[in-house]
Amino acid sequence: MEGALRDGGGNPVEGQLAPPAKVHFRVTRFIMEAGVKLGLQSIPIATACTIYHKFVGESALDAYDPYLIAMSAIYLAGKVEEQHLRTRDIINVSNRYFNSGSEPLELDARFWELRDSIVQCELLILRVLRFQVSFQHPHKYLLHYLISIKNWMNRYSWQRTPISVAAWALLRDSYHGALCLRFRAQHIAVAVLHLALQVYGVEVPADSEAEKPWWQVFSDDLTKPAIDSIVSDLVHIYTMDTQVS
Amino acid sequence: MDRDLLRQSLNCHGPSLLSLLRSEQHDNPHFRSLLGSAAEPARGPPLQQFPGRKEKRIDNIEIQQFISKKADLLFALSWKSDAQAVSEVNEDHEEHYAVMPPLEQFMEIPSMDRRELFFRDVERGDIVIGRISSIREFGFFMVLICLGSGIMRDISHLEITALCPLRDVPPHSNHGDPLSYYQTGDIIRAGIKDIDRYHEKLAVSLYSSSLPPHLASIKLGVITSEELPLYYRKSVELDSNSLESYENIMQSSLGFVNPGVVEYLLGKLGIDESNPPSLMRGLQSKNFSEDDYASALRKKQSASWALKCVKIGVDYFKVGRHVDAMNEYNKALEIDKQNVEALVARGALYATKGSLNKAIEDFELALENCPTHRNARKYLCQTLVERGGQLEEEEKFLNAESYYKKALALDETFTDAEDALQKLHKYMQKSLELREKQAEKEEKQKTKKIETSAEKLRKLLKEEKRLKKKKRKSTSSSSSVSSTDESASSSSSSSSSSHRRHKKHKKSRSESSRSSRRHCSKASSSQVDDDRGEEYYPLPINTTASFLNQKQEVEKFLEKQDRLPYPKTQVKEKDRYSLCSSSAEIPDDFGGRSEDSRDSYNSYKTQAGSSKTEKPYKSERHFTNRRDSSESFFRSSEDKIRNYGNRRFDRDVEGRKEHSRRWEPGSGRQPPSPASSECSGKSLEKYKKCAYSGSRDFFKPEQRYQLNANQGEYEREDNGGEDLKTEALGEDRPSSKDQPERVKKNLPQNLLNIFNQIAEFEKEKGNKPKNK
Repeated sequence: MEGALRDGGGNPVEGQLAPPAKVHFRVTRFIMEAGVKLGLQSIPIATACTIYHKFVGESALDAYDPYLIAMSAIYLAGKVEEQHLRTRDIINVSNRYFNSGSEPLELDARFWELRDSIVQCELLILRVLRFQVSFQHPHKYLLHYLISIKNWMNRYSWQRTPISVAAWALLRDSYHGALCLRFRAQHIAVAVLHLALQVYGVEVPADSEAEKPWWQVFSDDLTKPAIDSIVSDLVHIYTMDTQVS
Repeated sequence: MDRDLLRQSLNCHGPSLLSLLRSEQHDNPHFRSLLGSAAEPARGPPLQQFPGRKEKRIDNIEIQQFISKKADLLFALSWKSDAQAVSEVNEDHEEHYAVMPPLEQFMEIPSMDRRELFFRDVERGDIVIGRISSIREFGFFMVLICLGSGIMRDISHLEITALCPLRDVPPHSNHGDPLSYYQTGDIIRAGIKDIDRYHEKLAVSLYSSSLPPHLASIKLGVITSEELPLYYRKSVELDSNSLESYENIMQSSLGFVNPGVVEYLLGKLGIDESNPPSLMRGLQSKNFSEDDYASALRKKQSASWALKCVKIGVDYFKVGRHVDAMNEYNKALEIDKQNVEALVARGALYATKGSLNKAIEDFELALENCPTHRNARKYLCQTLVERGGQLEEEEKFLNAESYYKKALALDETFTDAEDALQKLHKYMQKSLELREKQAEKEEKQKTKKIETSAEKLRKLLKEEKRLKKKKRKSTSSSSSVSSTDESASSSSSSSSSSHRRHKKHKKSRSESSRSSRRHCSKASSSQVDDDRGEEYYPLPINTTASFLNQKQEVEKFLEKQDRLPYPKTQVKEKDRYSLCSSSAEIPDDFGGRSEDSRDSYNSYKTQAGSSKTEKPYKSERHFTNRRDSSESFFRSSEDKIRNYGNRRFDRDVEGRKEHSRRWEPGSGRQPPSPASSECSGKSLEKYKKCAYSGSRDFFKPEQRYQLNANQGEYEREDNGGEDLKTEALGEDRPSSKDQPERVKKNLPQNLLNIFNQIAEFEKEKGNKPKNK
């Protein structure tokens, strides 16, 4: 039924031929785009992506329609993060995503069936994830780190450099992959911040003179190789972006 | 493209990034111009500037590739969101977010570097907090312990002293040394006034003028230890237990679990969540179409859903199920409040049902939402004109005029409104002239009568007096009158007809009182126009009068018929009305302007006021009409009835007077502005009316006489020839009987229209039970 929703635009062969990572990339891209169009904030989008990654990690890829899982994940994430969404909006945005330029669906029996399938799938997700659907996201950590860094940096160089925006973008984009499942939130936050600083060639003042590098202050159990591996994964997500699309 | 930012990045990453950028961004014109200049190695501006930093360079090829690929996004100017240069106050609350001790404290950066960085980063206007270390005659020195705005640094161990000169210490009393107020060890909040970065010297001030405007409300001077910034207190805590990690402090902080912490910090850092940043090309939200957003889609969907409901409603409407149609329209409007089609359809339904005001509301709302909607405009015009017609009927001429004008403002080409407006103007003037003419005529007739039949006059005057006397004596109720009137004819049908007639009189009385109001207003407005010059209303002299008299004739004719073969006429009349109503059964199109409208009007009247006989539809006609018919009525009946009629007549006059009184306050409120003829007309009207009612009282006997004289003619007419009648009423009465037909057609179209629709509605109402 949900396959019917993307009869027009979806790529029918991707499910069979494309490697799982690419499917997940596409589906999480869908979650993010739909999330933006639904007016979702970063945290609910992150939750939806995490639910999706966690779900597909626990079940076979071809057992369920990944986009239905994604739609239900968005719906569930809205509930978890207290930014409630209407299924009608989710269906509308998804339909428009799959069949771009199409008119909104009529509110007929088929529409209500689609809606039911989202709600049913939501229950399935909850059972598969054993009702553990609240997550510690790196967002909060990252923001606190940014405040601390900001106070230690020269205010003019901070103003000149869009470190916070870049770091925020990197963090949002990181959900294309399953980083959120493999690394601690603090580590991801530090890695994102690290990459953002490097991109703009900004150094934390007196870091070389310090007893403890700044990233270790934020997380004691973090090592330089760990950061590098996360950064490498992050960069890989962007190379995947060019490969997939 | 932010060149400085790119240069900064290139400085850090070195020539390898530069070459990568060249290969990746060679299509981008911004980069080409920027990197093209750097293409010549001799000019490679920033790269060779700091050769000493080369070893510090990060040679992570992966990151450099990433930078070069995303350079257009990373160095775009639009990303410079955190541009707010204001240094905010560090009075953050614990519950907003986890306020942390300064980073350098965790990093354990040597004091020398911290001190150096402090003097690099501190700015004029920053708030510093310190303890007074010594007081001299030229001011006091303080050792800084923390910062109150701008940057949050750990400076308590840096032994930074600042001087607050005497001239920057505000006096606390009129006399004495201002410094005597302060003691060594006091905690002082002060604004930085001067920085000598090279010699690492600071001058502070206690005047708030040293602070930037947005901080000016902060009190400088002595503070208590509770007023110290939160970050400093946290930093002191950390000092006492240096094993505490950043993470532990953060997670044990109340602000960290605040559900709104992300939003709060996003705002503090200047990140826009409504337009979320991304380095993915497919997720650039500026490329998203507005139409793809949930709200837009929902709106569209609701609109089409509502339209569906409207269609169903229209189908119901077509088969006459108006309640179902209304339900569908309301449902549509529930789904989509501003749905233009639903508003127009509901407006049309309201208009059909006769709720013109509601219809106008709906149409206006529809036009507000969609000013180009043709049907909404069309219907609104029509409904406005209809409503205007109704108001005209209710004698609210100024309101009616405004409705017509509104309709014309909407659609200049809407001829119905223009016609109606012109007609109204004409009509207002006509009735005004009629009033004048009547007064004239009365005058004339009075003199004429006196000349020609002085004898008769005297006789009639006598009779009049007698009538008056009797009237005063008489206390019989109207019901007794009605039961006894027309006692001459003994049949039961005649009594019922008299009932009817009685009602007619009542009605006509009230109408005449209203018509008199109208006359007055007309008279006054014409007066105004007379004052200004006659050219505005060049009307044929005869029209109104003839109009009036034709009607009279019809009335009289009917009357005659009534009187002569009584039971027969009764039946005849009934037949006629049933015929009329049946002709109105033929469904008329909405807004159709057909010729048979008068029939439908009549049928409506018969249906509404079941026992009412032919009622003149122009009240102005009544004015004279009533007198004829009632007088003739008096004549043929007994004295009692005559008294009754007279009394009523008197009441009539009284009512008119009352009416003129009623008008006074309203007209008094109107400022006599010469700009609007309506206004001045109204105010003039007042005087005119007073004069009028006075004159009426004065003329009463004569008038009565004249009417009675008319009545005499009636008597004669009953007996014999019509020629007598014409002779008595003057030459301005046309004799042809087909005139009334033309008059009918001359009725304002909008009125006919309304009556049509009302009739149709009535009919539908009647039909509905059958449908169900």
